[in-house]
Amino acid sequence: MKKLHIVGIIIIAVAIGVIFSSLKNTTTYANFDEAMANPGKEFHVVGKLNKDMPQLYEPTVNPDEFKFTMLDNNGLSKNVVLHKSKPQDFDKSEQLVLIGQIHGEEFHANDILMKCPSKYNDAKSQLNQVQ
Amino acid sequence: MEAINYVGEHLWAGYIGNAFVVLSFIAALTASVFYYLSTKDKAYYKTARLSFLIHSLSVVGIAATLFVMLFNHYFEYQYVFQHSNTSMDMKYILSCFWEGQEGSFLLWTFWNVVLGLFLKKQLDTEWEAPVMMVFALVQVFLASMILGIYLGEYKIGSNPFLLLREHPETKMAPFLQNANYLAKLDGRGLNPLLMNYWMTIHPPTLFLGFASTLLPFAFAIAALWNKQYTAWQRIALPYTYFGILVLGIGILMGGAWAYEALSFGGFWAWDPVENSSLVPWLVLVAAGHTMLINKNKGGSVFTTHLLAIAAFLLVLYSTFLTRSGILGNASVHAFTDLGMQGQLVIYVLTFVFITVALLVQDSLIKTSYIVGSLLLLSFAIFFNFKRYALFIWIPASVGLTIFSYLRYFPKEKKEEELYSREFWLFLGSLVLLLSGLIITYFTSIPVSNKLFDMKQAPLKVGDYNVWMIPFSIVMLVLMASAQFLKYKHNERSVFFKKLRYSFFAALVFGFVCAIPLYFLRDFSEASNGLERWNLISYALLLVCGFFAVFSNAEYWLNILKGKILKSGASIAHIGFALILIGALISTSKKVTLSKNTSDKKVESLGKGFDGQKSILLTQGDTLPMGPYFVSFREKKRIGIDVYFKVEYYKLNEKNKPVIDFVLNPRIQDNPRMGKAPEPDTKHYLGKDVYTHITAADLNTNKPDAAKKSAYNEPKNYVGHVGDTIFASNAFVIIESIQTNLSQEEYSKNDSLLVVTAVLSCVDAQSNVYKVYPQYVIKKNVVIPKEAIEEKLGLKFAFWKINPDEGTLEITMSEHVRNAKDFIVMEAYVFPFINVLWLGCLIMAFGTGIAIVEQVRLNRLKQQKAAA
Repeated sequence: MKKLHIVGIIIIAVAIGVIFSSLKNTTTYANFDEAMANPGKEFHVVGKLNKDMPQLYEPTVNPDEFKFTMLDNNGLSKNVVLHKSKPQDFDKSEQLVLIGQIHGEEFHANDILMKCPSKYNDAKSQLNQVQ
Repeated sequence: MEAINYVGEHLWAGYIGNAFVVLSFIAALTASVFYYLSTKDKAYYKTARLSFLIHSLSVVGIAATLFVMLFNHYFEYQYVFQHSNTSMDMKYILSCFWEGQEGSFLLWTFWNVVLGLFLKKQLDTEWEAPVMMVFALVQVFLASMILGIYLGEYKIGSNPFLLLREHPETKMAPFLQNANYLAKLDGRGLNPLLMNYWMTIHPPTLFLGFASTLLPFAFAIAALWNKQYTAWQRIALPYTYFGILVLGIGILMGGAWAYEALSFGGFWAWDPVENSSLVPWLVLVAAGHTMLINKNKGGSVFTTHLLAIAAFLLVLYSTFLTRSGILGNASVHAFTDLGMQGQLVIYVLTFVFITVALLVQDSLIKTSYIVGSLLLLSFAIFFNFKRYALFIWIPASVGLTIFSYLRYFPKEKKEEELYSREFWLFLGSLVLLLSGLIITYFTSIPVSNKLFDMKQAPLKVGDYNVWMIPFSIVMLVLMASAQFLKYKHNERSVFFKKLRYSFFAALVFGFVCAIPLYFLRDFSEASNGLERWNLISYALLLVCGFFAVFSNAEYWLNILKGKILKSGASIAHIGFALILIGALISTSKKVTLSKNTSDKKVESLGKGFDGQKSILLTQGDTLPMGPYFVSFREKKRIGIDVYFKVEYYKLNEKNKPVIDFVLNPRIQDNPRMGKAPEPDTKHYLGKDVYTHITAADLNTNKPDAAKKSAYNEPKNYVGHVGDTIFASNAFVIIESIQTNLSQEEYSKNDSLLVVTAVLSCVDAQSNVYKVYPQYVIKKNVVIPKEAIEEKLGLKFAFWKINPDEGTLEITMSEHVRNAKDFIVMEAYVFPFINVLWLGCLIMAFGTGIAIVEQVRLNRLKQQKAAA
């Protein structure tokens, strides 16, 4: 069974490689303070839109730039530059996940995930409209 | 509180539905117990079969009741209320049925019943008992998913027959105090995003695929039960191919849906939901190949069992991932958490437990494993020991599996030859399994975060691609060559001789294609070693893809002499190779047409920020975009959809733009899901031009008459003489300031001081319009005098002078008619994506032929045995 042993060793090596590379390379979830401590390193930051601060989207100037302010889960507020167009229903979002890095004083995000009020189960709000 | 006598409720439907739910659960339980007894004594068969039949009829009864309720709009039931309404087209009633978790579990249960009833007829009594025991046991778990009963505080299942006034989410609604609430109640309706034919065909296909993984699983478990490891593999082979076919079609339909109607910007996003149905398919394909080895040459016994069982367990794991809410933010497929996480975990672990318990044959070890597992389970439940229980239990189960393999399974005496079909097939199966495990590992990051308290972010799409390309290359090489090897012994030189034509053809053809695709421009533009390596791997994948296509075509035409019945494998392999080629080219050569035209450049921010891909189109303007000129013409609202008409022009011989094609991407102004963009695509044979809107004003009402003469809010500008103010239709230069009196005259005479700003408005055609807003001071009171430029619709007021800074302040407001509509759009070209779809069809066709052929071979064998 020599050949199969070689195959087995290769498979184990690949598996170990996968695990190590994933532990080393993938970005992690973090708060703004950790992102600020590592400028230029990519993080996923979870938080909420800071509704007290202004938003700026001027597609006539740059359709791929949207500025707003987010509160992370520790309550730290940070100016964000999203290098994408302003997402639909942005103001309705309950939770944001930014993917990006700190540059200077701002968090620059190249992508964003939004959680909107439970997509399937907002039966309650509908029921209240019935009356 | 006084009981309310509700008017017009159809309580009978719920009674019937619930009776069927309970009956289906009890009958499945009875069937599994009596099939178990039948393995010892044939006298129990009658009861077992009857119970399974009752279970089957009850499942059909549940489905029929739910249909009747949906069809007649019984909105007193929460499921009907939540998933349908009166204004909905009845052709979507199937979609309503399986939109919710309960309905989709029911769909799955239903397919299992159909497959079970079919399979039962094909089996002799020796196999029927253990196989159907597994079927019935799976059905016990599935039926429990819609039970909706409480054991203490643990909820088991979620019931589709709950009334609005019973459902925990809705029972507090105040209008339920009205006895006649049904009179004015309408349902929430189907999510409009799901109102298309894909929602009618994709879920049933996918769930039939899921259900069909139960076939090889049930055989494999029955084989462990009977301790007959080989006889079943021949019988199960066509069923396994059936699973490969249906699950494969179901997954690809999901991809086609995502590409056509959703705005992922591609057909495959490595989303956890996509991954967790792809992985069982990969493992099932691996199982199908080791079964072939076993059937034709013997051996691979343990591997086949492992793969057939793993495919089903991975379907269960996929159910856990996608329906327990554990994925959280990691997926766009947001199934809501119905509080069934615990139940789903138990479901997965139970079947792992059964597998391991059956693998072990020494009764002492078996008993200690069973007792140990139950002890761990009770510790886990009563002492909140769940995580550590898993850390003990999982390694123990894996260890026992390896132990059983070494101890009980027949081993080949002789080492397989390197140049033999069985060795290469086996290798291919391992590569499939390994790639599946790697995808599972990455997809499970949210689970391992939870288990190990980590904060790993989900893997990016590009990283999945990088990982899977080497695996695809190995798979393609094996697919290209394994058929040219016979089972057992082969001469190496003969083998290479047979392969040489397709190999050299692929080498030439592949590089002829790869050089313009990846090396003429991209390679020199690549910024680092990794990118260059990626380009080389694309070229290799392309060459190997062609190698697989050519050699399988050659095998079919030359060796099989074009006989269609024998050619299933060759055709399916050609299809799979074409899928990979199409996926490779359309993804790696995807062109972003809509390059951002603003002058802000953000490449300095690093990788990931080079994707500036939106273009702003103002209504009526025409902009160059890639090889086209594009123009946004108008928007139109139809129902809840707002369509944006985008014209694509090309220059003709006389350099005049002519319309090439028109696309109508839309945004669904969806009251439930929010605003959802749906792309529109122009399909050519060799490429697709894909467009979707990312930002736009959805208001389609014209400004009303009352506002027709109105001006918008003024904006203030601070500046000097010589500065420019930008209006939407002109630029305005502050030419000069003129005063009617000198400072001395003003202070002497106590008269009017008039300061006039001379403004030149230059429109797009370079016409110049002069405007003269004035700043009038009388007895130290400032009265600004507005000036209007009617033609341009611009109004100016000069209202402040700051002598210290030497600046002046002017406000400008624009007429409402100046506000032009605009859209922000993304546009891509997907080259050769039709190769991918063609590959899908060819692969499905080839797999279909293989099923027919295997069924035929099994029949022949049976006839021979009978004769």
